[in-house]
Amino acid sequence: MKVIEAKDVVKRYGGVFRRKHDTATRPALNGVSFSIERGETVGLLGPNGAGKTTLLKILSTLIELDTGSVKVLGHDLSRDPEAVRRQLGLVTCDERSFYWRLTGRQNLRFFAELYRVPAEAAKRRIDELFETLGLTEAADHTYHTYSTGMRQKMAIGRGLLASPDLVLFDEPTRSLDPLSAHNIRDWIIGERRRNPVTTRLVATNQLHEAERLCDRVLIVNRGEIIADGTIAEIRRRFEACQHTVHRILCRGDVGGLVATDRALGIVSLETEAGDEEDTMWISLRAVRNSEALTFVLQRVLANGARVEQCQTQQAPLDEIFISLVIEDRNSRDLVPA
Amino acid sequence: MRLAWAFFSRDAAIALSYRFSFAAQLFGNFLLVGLLYFVSKTAGLDHVPALKAYGGSFMAFVLIGVALTDCVLVSLVSFAQQVRESQTTGTLEATLISPVPLPLILIYSTLWSYFLSAIRFVLYLIAGAALGSLNMSTINVPASIVIFFLTVCSFLGLGILWAGIVLLIKRGEALMGLLSIVVMLLSGMLFPITVLPGWLQFLAGLVPLTTALEAMRMAVLRGTDLSQLGTLLLKLSAFAVVLLAAGFWGFHWAVKLGRRNGSLTEY
Repeated sequence: MKVIEAKDVVKRYGGVFRRKHDTATRPALNGVSFSIERGETVGLLGPNGAGKTTLLKILSTLIELDTGSVKVLGHDLSRDPEAVRRQLGLVTCDERSFYWRLTGRQNLRFFAELYRVPAEAAKRRIDELFETLGLTEAADHTYHTYSTGMRQKMAIGRGLLASPDLVLFDEPTRSLDPLSAHNIRDWIIGERRRNPVTTRLVATNQLHEAERLCDRVLIVNRGEIIADGTIAEIRRRFEACQHTVHRILCRGDVGGLVATDRALGIVSLETEAGDEEDTMWISLRAVRNSEALTFVLQRVLANGARVEQCQTQQAPLDEIFISLVIEDRNSRDLVPA
Repeated sequence: MRLAWAFFSRDAAIALSYRFSFAAQLFGNFLLVGLLYFVSKTAGLDHVPALKAYGGSFMAFVLIGVALTDCVLVSLVSFAQQVRESQTTGTLEATLISPVPLPLILIYSTLWSYFLSAIRFVLYLIAGAALGSLNMSTINVPASIVIFFLTVCSFLGLGILWAGIVLLIKRGEALMGLLSIVVMLLSGMLFPITVLPGWLQFLAGLVPLTTALEAMRMAVLRGTDLSQLGTLLLKLSAFAVVLLAAGFWGFHWAVKLGRRNGSLTEY
């Protein structure tokens, strides 16, 4: 079952009560289409200003789309936003969005009322959330005494309070220290196991986070989706037309290696001394499926050296992301306006 | 009711956590009562002929004016303040994505302010009695409650409409300050409107507070009952219906526009 089904969504900021310089020249979203199945955790990646927040705001009914259509849990977002809100949880990174003079428990109790969670069920759910988020001891302390990490946990708690079918995470670990961010990610992974039917859309700038948390990613740039698939699929697609990096550890004299040879597919070739005496690391960047690796290995062996290790490295997600975004930008800049 | 209580207890807990501000809010206006009392004594205002219709006491006349205007200012200021505060603190976004309709959120968010205003209204009357300017036994309580309720409804509509405007233009304090002074000038908060020039008296008739004050002074100072206040109550009810309808329609339109141009949670 499709939990989100977006078709040709266009959103442009501007209009009545907007100053001239608040009006963007290009649309924030330009023909975005995608769908998410029940139980999937999907990452929404993109550089700043790509349209991630606009998309989340549309899905959470905070802003209206200009054209196109979005169905969330079978409800048309434009026609029945209240039905969508009943089944939706939003986790923002805005720590100001709580009442600072109230305790953590008072805050969650108030938001539980907004979602019409029955009193007894709300009490149980709040206790359970405090327990799993590790906030039980601080539950009755005022919110302003909480650390940034605790506030982020509160935001997660609020998003999950009414046990929604769809949870939107807007940069859940932004501005957290590495340890707190790690803990939050672990918690989300645990939550996925506990509630496998809940669907999650995670907007993030942290690629390793998407890699850890998500089944699939949507990469957005300049208001358009430029890649949609599992990380493995995107990596395969990327690597099919990109370079591969090989690291070879040799013992003995490797002789003089050719620095670059385009005909053989060698893009770059560098050597550095290994940790042990008489060893050397060769870093070979080569055109994928070329003869480069065979050629280099043959040369090393022919020279009387021994190959101790040979690693072919996966392109890091960061590199794939940057390449996709730059490629998209370049291809659009080539198109005459 | 549970939802209304959730808002009320939230705002009560927040207000009570700022103790000095809370005390100032509740009792601060009594300094004004003291000021008016001494002005009245110094200038011998109790014998002004224009006040004869209201029992002749300037202090009692002004106390009703100040008490009811206090409630009206809650309507005019609270809604917009709630919107503005929740926009800047970031809580608006969190409440907007809940299934509760926004006008309901807005109304419930002002329950605490109205509760305080009602307490202040009673305290003003007690202060008047303590100063010997007001005879508590003449007050027609049922009529006073009905008039208070209709006044709240009239200005509720105006407050909601204004909140919608603030949602779009973001900062409306200066304009609201100006409007509040116009309302105070035309409604006869501190003087009977019969002292105004004819054209200003006509404009005063278009301000709901003028009718509300007239009716409230009759009920509190003269003990007039509901059946004798028929015309004034009808006029006040008409104001309430028209302004509530305009308020809800205007606010709905403002939210729709805010969602469309993406400015709803901006500040």
